[in-house]
Amino acid sequence: MIDSFFVHTLNGLWYGFILFMIASGLTIIFGVLGILNLAHGELYALGAFVVFSVVGYATGLVASPDDPVSTVVFGVPIPVSAVVFGVVVLAAALVSAAVLLPVGAFIEAVFVRPIYDRDEVYQLLLTYALLLIFVDVMKFGWGTSPLDAGTYSGLNQIPTTELAGFDYPSYNIIAMLVSLAVFVWLVWFFDRSKTGRIIRATAINRDMATAIGVSTDRTFTLVFAMGAFFAGFGGAMVSIGPQTAFLEMGLDPLVLSFVVIVVGGLGSLKGAFVGALLVGVISRWAIWLYPAVELAAPFAVMLAILLVKPEGLFGTWGEIE
Amino acid sequence: MTTGSHKPRDDGVAGIDRRDALKLVGGSAIAVALAGCADLLEDEEDALEDAEVPDEPIEAGLQTFLEGAPAVLGVQAEMGAETAVRRINDNGGVAGRDIELDVIEEGEEALENYQQFVDDGKDVTFGPISSGNHEAMVPEINAQGVINVATDGTVTTLYEEDHPPEDNTYSFRFQNHDVMEALAAAVEAVEVLGADDIDTFAGINPGYAFGFDEHEVFSAGIEQLTGAEEVYDGFPDLGTDDMSTHIEAVNSEEPDVLFSSCWGGDATLLLEQGHGAGMFDSIELMVGPVLYGSANDLSEGLVDGPIRSGSRNFYWDEPTTDRWPPAADLLEEVLEEYDAVPTAHFMSGYGAVTAWATAAEKAVRLLGRWPEQDELAEVLTGHGFHTPAGYHTMADDHQCYSNAHFGELAWSDDLDAAVLENVTVYAPEEVSPPQREISLEWIGGW
Repeated sequence: MIDSFFVHTLNGLWYGFILFMIASGLTIIFGVLGILNLAHGELYALGAFVVFSVVGYATGLVASPDDPVSTVVFGVPIPVSAVVFGVVVLAAALVSAAVLLPVGAFIEAVFVRPIYDRDEVYQLLLTYALLLIFVDVMKFGWGTSPLDAGTYSGLNQIPTTELAGFDYPSYNIIAMLVSLAVFVWLVWFFDRSKTGRIIRATAINRDMATAIGVSTDRTFTLVFAMGAFFAGFGGAMVSIGPQTAFLEMGLDPLVLSFVVIVVGGLGSLKGAFVGALLVGVISRWAIWLYPAVELAAPFAVMLAILLVKPEGLFGTWGEIE
Repeated sequence: MTTGSHKPRDDGVAGIDRRDALKLVGGSAIAVALAGCADLLEDEEDALEDAEVPDEPIEAGLQTFLEGAPAVLGVQAEMGAETAVRRINDNGGVAGRDIELDVIEEGEEALENYQQFVDDGKDVTFGPISSGNHEAMVPEINAQGVINVATDGTVTTLYEEDHPPEDNTYSFRFQNHDVMEALAAAVEAVEVLGADDIDTFAGINPGYAFGFDEHEVFSAGIEQLTGAEEVYDGFPDLGTDDMSTHIEAVNSEEPDVLFSSCWGGDATLLLEQGHGAGMFDSIELMVGPVLYGSANDLSEGLVDGPIRSGSRNFYWDEPTTDRWPPAADLLEEVLEEYDAVPTAHFMSGYGAVTAWATAAEKAVRLLGRWPEQDELAEVLTGHGFHTPAGYHTMADDHQCYSNAHFGELAWSDDLDAAVLENVTVYAPEEVSPPQREISLEWIGGW
């Protein structure tokens, strides 16, 4: 029972970290631009499809993870080819997400910018239209059948938890570490970097930022591109794991991302992080103890938290934090 | 027993001549063509020449999943229906009438799709894939009076309880219903492990009508056959992105048998995460009625382990292709045309078209003219016909009955796809109740 509790908790953390990667882009865009991007799920799906193409090329350049080349570090045999394979796959995920940078910048500059001053319903209509367009773009580019990057078993050959004496999929551990790194970098970026502080200042007072010489156009384009990057990175990280890339894959993550950012507080990065882990862990526990609640579990978590804290755990409207 | 690899046809050994083929399938040119023996009838005299048949082509509609995760099954049904139509048209059409097939996305609008087909003047409609969609369609099909032959939508209770023959005239289903594959899975588990060695079982099935139906039938069957106890049942959402909780539950319970009717992306996700979490070390056997539906999407690593899969009413290499030329020809045609291995869902589309087309031609022979919808429905009820999958009977309850297949999941380097080895064939009477009996009551009476 205790072993099982431990594994279910790890599974919940893994799922939460994945949710955070997907939701981070949504919360950045909403927190700074005030845009509720319904096409976010499709940017996530686009990352999943792009990595399928990139990883196929990239892994062809390196040795198979099955090659028995290994070295010993502190008395522990490390399969070098599996580690190299893992590094290449993660690099492929980053490259795939980078493809989303110009896509996000283009969308903001051409489609989103003209509607900042209009009613919110225009945002919803525009981003919903983009959602449909992206589905057709992916259909045109990769066809209608699900695609498997085929990297999951290779990543699982990298020793992680085995070194600590128990078996757990290495991909899950890698995904958690990567997601944690994303969170730390985002906090550093918005708290410590000059560009991040300019973005926050612009989010708080757009007129004042313009008065002191900040180009709000460029700032907003950068933010939207960042949001698209992290959506794509989330999709790429999921697609190199056990899940296939398929056309409708953007819908559920979009809905769960809304749950996460509402639980965490709209526009709060720290809130999205804590909210994602809470939704991940509690929903996995709930499914374990009572499988019938699978669909309702994330929403029950949201409901319970909103009853106690209606503004979410770290609610900061209109300011990324 | 199959070898799991494609063997080229040896024409010198093929055991069917023209006379045998004609006798076998009832003497019709398209019946022979659809059974896979068209080359035997090149100069056969057409007995339908005097019938009063309209000149215009037959307008047919097929709805199936063409996009997303369910497309793994739906596109196979499309290929199957297209192949049957191509063979019909190449062999002179149905009583001289070509078929024009309109294929549309099933989505969640199956009922509206059917209504649109009727409004467009279709003579016949085929599909859907989804059980839920099929349930929604049946009352409308009977209200509109245009025959629909479902490719799948295989929930057992549909014709047994919800729409018995006295309330159903125009709705038919080609593919075997759930009870056949779920019971075949239970019998297969007993055959492999032995009844005395199965004490516990678990289920991970998709959380909608099909998954609930399959799990209920399998549980009833294996409990009757072995007295085993269910230790876990999980129903992940269809198209879920995570099965880890269910897999860990199975790992902690260590059941002897795991039953899963997951299909498409859910099946590959379950196998991927299952391998990653060591699930196949925690169980003795996994039986999955529709795992082989993803034959073209599985990778070599995923078929590893004690896994046996069903293949509904058609497995392309059973009988083996070197002994059964119609299947060898079909495999060759599908590989060439679509670069894919045909699965049971291919046969869902192929068989649905074949059932209707052969019945229509039979009706023309009987009437001397093109039949009305109610006359065709009458002929289709009780109609027997051949496909490369063997012989099929559309029974009085409008459910078609064929053999059910189960085999060991393996890998073929030749095809670069999953195959089944050591295939067992179950006759309909072994795994489905007699007409007018309810499946669960029948199993309960064992």
